[in-house]
Amino acid sequence: MMITVKLTVNGKLRQVHVEPRLTLLEVLREELLLTGTKEGCGVGECGTCVVLHDGEPVTSCLVLAGDADGAEIETIEGLAEDGELTAVQRAFVKTGALQCGFCTPAMVLTTTALFRKNDQPAIEDVKNALGGVLCRCGVYPKLLEAVTEIKGANP
Amino acid sequence: MKRLLKFDYYEPASLEDAVRILAAADGGASVLAGGTDLVVDMKTGRLQPSTVVNLKGIPKLAGIDAADDATRIGALTRVTEVELSELVQSRHPALAQAASILASPPVRGLATIGGNVGRASPASDLGPALIVHDARVAIIGTEGAREELVEKLYVAPGVTSLAQSDIITHFTLPLQPPGFGSAYVKLGKRGSGTDIALAGVAASVLADGDGEIVDCRIALASLGPTPFRAVGTETLLRSKRATQALLATAAENASHEAMPIDDMRASAFYREKLARVLTDRALRGALASAGVEVAA
Amino acid sequence: MTGYVGNRIPRVDSAAKVTGAAIYGVDVALAGMLHGAVLRSPYPRARIVSIDTSAAAAAPGVQTVVTGRDFSLLFGGVIKDQSILAIDEVRYAGEPVVAVSATTEHEAQEALSLIRVEYEELPAVLDMRAALANDAPLVHPDLHTYNRRPGDYIVPHTNINTIYRHERGDVEAGFARSDYVFEGEYTAHALSHAALEVHVAIAQYDSVTGGYTVWVSSERPFILRDQLAPGLGVEPSRIRMIAAEVGGTFGGKGIPIAEAIAAGLARHSGGRPVRVEFTREEDLVASQTRVPAILKLKTGINRDGFMVARSAEVLWDSGAYTAYTVDVSIRGAQTIIGPYRIPNLSLLSRQVYTNKPVTGSFRGFGTTQVTWACETHMDEITTEMGLDPVAFRLQNGYEEGDPYINGQILHGINLTDTIKRAATEIGWGSVERKPAPHLRRGKGIAAMIKPSKTPSSANVVINLGQDGRAAVVCAAPEIGAGQRTVIAQIAADSIGIRIEDVSVPDADTAITPYNSPVASSRTTYHMGNAVLEAGTKVQAELVALAGRYLEVDPDELEVRDGGIFDLDGEHQITVKGLLSKYSKEGYWITASARYSSAGSPLLKADPGEEWISSIFWMLCTHAAEVEVDVETGVIRVVKIAAAADVGKAINPLTVEQQIEGGVVMGVSNALFESFSYRDGRVENGNFADYKLATIHDIPEIVPIIVESVHDEAPFGAKGVGEPANAATPPAIGNAIFDAVGIRIRDLPITPEKVLEALEEKAAADVSKLKPPL
Ligand SMILES: Cc1cc2nc3c(=O)[nH]c(=O)nc-3n(C[C@H](O)[C@H](O)[C@H](O)COP(=O)(O)OP(=O)(O)OC[C@H]3O[C@@H](n4cnc5c(N)ncnc54)[C@H](O)[C@@H]3O)c2cc1C
Ligand code: FES
Ligand code: FES
Repeated sequence: MMITVKLTVNGKLRQVHVEPRLTLLEVLREELLLTGTKEGCGVGECGTCVVLHDGEPVTSCLVLAGDADGAEIETIEGLAEDGELTAVQRAFVKTGALQCGFCTPAMVLTTTALFRKNDQPAIEDVKNALGGVLCRCGVYPKLLEAVTEIKGANP
Repeated sequence: MKRLLKFDYYEPASLEDAVRILAAADGGASVLAGGTDLVVDMKTGRLQPSTVVNLKGIPKLAGIDAADDATRIGALTRVTEVELSELVQSRHPALAQAASILASPPVRGLATIGGNVGRASPASDLGPALIVHDARVAIIGTEGAREELVEKLYVAPGVTSLAQSDIITHFTLPLQPPGFGSAYVKLGKRGSGTDIALAGVAASVLADGDGEIVDCRIALASLGPTPFRAVGTETLLRSKRATQALLATAAENASHEAMPIDDMRASAFYREKLARVLTDRALRGALASAGVEVAA
Repeated sequence: MTGYVGNRIPRVDSAAKVTGAAIYGVDVALAGMLHGAVLRSPYPRARIVSIDTSAAAAAPGVQTVVTGRDFSLLFGGVIKDQSILAIDEVRYAGEPVVAVSATTEHEAQEALSLIRVEYEELPAVLDMRAALANDAPLVHPDLHTYNRRPGDYIVPHTNINTIYRHERGDVEAGFARSDYVFEGEYTAHALSHAALEVHVAIAQYDSVTGGYTVWVSSERPFILRDQLAPGLGVEPSRIRMIAAEVGGTFGGKGIPIAEAIAAGLARHSGGRPVRVEFTREEDLVASQTRVPAILKLKTGINRDGFMVARSAEVLWDSGAYTAYTVDVSIRGAQTIIGPYRIPNLSLLSRQVYTNKPVTGSFRGFGTTQVTWACETHMDEITTEMGLDPVAFRLQNGYEEGDPYINGQILHGINLTDTIKRAATEIGWGSVERKPAPHLRRGKGIAAMIKPSKTPSSANVVINLGQDGRAAVVCAAPEIGAGQRTVIAQIAADSIGIRIEDVSVPDADTAITPYNSPVASSRTTYHMGNAVLEAGTKVQAELVALAGRYLEVDPDELEVRDGGIFDLDGEHQITVKGLLSKYSKEGYWITASARYSSAGSPLLKADPGEEWISSIFWMLCTHAAEVEVDVETGVIRVVKIAAAADVGKAINPLTVEQQIEGGVVMGVSNALFESFSYRDGRVENGNFADYKLATIHDIPEIVPIIVESVHDEAPFGAKGVGEPANAATPPAIGNAIFDAVGIRIRDLPITPEKVLEALEEKAAADVSKLKPPL
């Protein structure tokens, strides 16, 4: 059985014809070749696969393709425009909120979603928001610095 | 990466169609809500349905509505929405608290309240919170619609009394009189918040003007095969004034009512200790939310 | 030479990583690529009676199905004891038995369910102590026949694959002279590296040349190549390893794991590339883990607080195959006196095979286990003797010029300042004991010492192109620790160009010259030295060329910021401008350099014991403040002050990242992570039950950079990556003792253990209060 899924990815309307057993993560990485979104566990525990679904961070490894029909998806590839990094991305670079970088797409997207709602999040809001994304390299302290940096840039 | 096996996929537009597809499917059929349990269960091999029926094309299954005498929460309401709903926070604090510590934000943004009950995990956070609010679950199936108390739905770990073609449509939580309060607390492996409960306790109390406990509910997570009520402890508390000593006795009693097991997450020994501490903390939370001070 | 070195330079790999452009091992895709899947043993030990692959071979999309029969050769790190797929016997639950390649990963995984394997279960050795018993079943009865590094470190016809002793002074006389003797036993558990990028490899076989090309995610492309070659029966140079971006390794991606299966499948897949990506479960259960260890320590000490003698018995569990662990156990055990002067030592270290998953190198290479034991033991000594843990460490701690256990004179070390500064930062000596009725706080401290792989070498080639941009060609994959940035900083400064004009391409064993692994915290020091030399040569050639072109004395020119200046600081010409004058003939400047620590006078030691010397020593001290919930046993780490003697920080930003990341990992290792086994099978092969620390779980972390002066180090820089996580667990354990008076000696420190110990203590305290009858 095949299904047709129409979704908007990074502002572009895309259509894929896939087996319903594919997850959104597989559609993004393998059908649309947007490999910036990574898998860390496949079962919702690590948050590495986070994308923004109608603006909200979700674990794309748990979303079936059919569920993505009609959705508005943002991936890491969609943030910078013409090579111009966003304020969140710039803060990550400046404060060193990345090491191996494998969790970075999810961290950047989650932070972006947080700041769209609240440009002066309290530390607890930050921890709550980022609590679902693991970083084995341990960039958490630098992430908090990055958030302070972004807050400073959004007075 | 771990890949899913093949299945047929449907997105019916009405409950009737959904029930019909579920009833007709052989080889196992599953309802898909948020998928945060179902997709995991399919990846680990716990479930291998040949038919998956996505409910999200059916209107009116999501949303929180305030009636005068009850709150209605649609089965497809996301856990995030339950967590952030001011209505739920004020009317049913234990449920809002449980929702706020269920999994992590990107999972909560997918997970639904119906799926949490449908999965019937012994570690369910929303189950105990619904139980202490006397929540009823509304179901539609081949025989039509019916309703029952949430606590009556659970049969065994991962098993409900739902038939393959039964669909949870919504929950009804009666509005409580003044003097009511509730709370949910849990402890997970990392101690810090959102992990699967090693143990969890929901409590609700109804107190009169003098601070006497008129009625109460205590429901436990990960302390038995399903979420269940510590009925003996409730009895012990009823018609008494909340004192430190009473809370200590109740907590102790709840730890005896718990039916913890040893598993890779924790020992029965430790879970029993947690049952005591968490019952104490949940009761204090419920009393505080009812505006009752614990006497010395 | 000024500019980048020593400054907080944003990482050069940042932009690619924040935009999703970086290509990791898991992202590499080739045309015509097949996908592999692996059927694994469900038993810890069993004889393979029969394998029926016929249905799988006929399944849709399947290209090939291979079993142990197809690969008779053995490979391994020190002892060649492992095959690509199990031959006749499986030795751990999770061992690869059959592999399939198919057009899609879906098809490959589905085909696995069609394979029938009949096993005859055999008694398994699941406990390292049991492995020592005379009648224990032998995991490798043929151990004595295996190809291996020469030496008498194995004990044939036993499960002991590594035995090592070290004696210094006279330990018995030392104990006899001691006023007090303390003994303790400690255990360190298996840990997963749990890099967020799982193990992955894509291999292609060329039937004409008989060679392989393998795209990998690894910190050690050359080691991987050299280790895999015997398993495939080819010369190492016949395997070309191309490293992509690495999504974390922590020592876990240096031996053939997915690479072996991918290459094996590729050998039989008609020339098509085969990609093998582990699932998270495979990664947790069947890649490799830290080597668990049981450590028994005995220490003699004088009334005046000087340690006199230590004897130690260490037992390590390598699991079913040795991989890197012969060296892990030896190198780890050698640090058994910690960073302290103890003149008399007797060490017995043994490592056994068991029917458990394979273990290997893990950030710290054996020192994390030893540090846990030593520093917990130190705290027991200070508690019993009523000494101050900080003063005691300062009194006994190594100082510049002290001899190490082999007589090597320690050079370029500054333990003292790490102890002092960590203690000051944590506010040693004061603590708010009881912030709430159910909470108790305490503070603890722990120090450690770590050598770096010695001898080892690093080679580099720098190509300065006509456009004034330099490529630093070397096999030092960026594993997250900032390798690329540090190399680029040193290259930019030594050549005199801007860092934006420096690239550090991916490692490729067919192109990049040899480098020992990106491991042992050795890259900054070793590759740094090589790059410094090569860059200096490039600059010299540039200056000479500029002198010829400008017709001035080259000695009167200098290069910086991509320009050529005279001694008055007047800009003469850009590097790019200069080189472009020669564009017709084509002018590239290429320089190479090699750094090797072999033969350094710093390695001098007692005769026959030079091999124990390290080219540099890393020291660090962590001080912790914790809060114990006495009702639930839950530990909250409030703060960690982590001071590391790094020599000199080439880039304080990346050094801080290493220290902070190490602490995060240390907290996670100490409190949350552990494997749970049932009948020899790991039952928590997922992140739901193998827990890593989240942002909720981390304390306030204060990284403290301590400097020292090392004569051979590039700009004085040593290493920092490994020590960072070792001292955190014992600092936490010691702080818990300070808070509530309970001693946890076996990791991890779970709430359950804490609560149990608190109850035992309460019972003991009550019985102490009872009057004697
Ligand atoms: C990383 C992670 C962490 C988690 N942590 C927690 C936690 O801390 N606490 C907790 O309680 N849970 C936790 N869960 C489990 C899960 O997220 C919740 O149970 C969630 O509420 C399930 O909802 P869902 O909509 O995703 O259900 P689904 O996966 O869609 O469905 C779950 C089950 O219920 C059935 N079902 C769904 N909707 C209906 C319906 N309307 N009528 C009948 N049957 C239905 C499905 O067929 C399926 O069998 C976690 C899950 C993940 C992946
Ligand atoms: S990969 Fe989706 S949460 Fe881990
Ligand atoms: S930077 Fe490596 S996992 Fe986060």
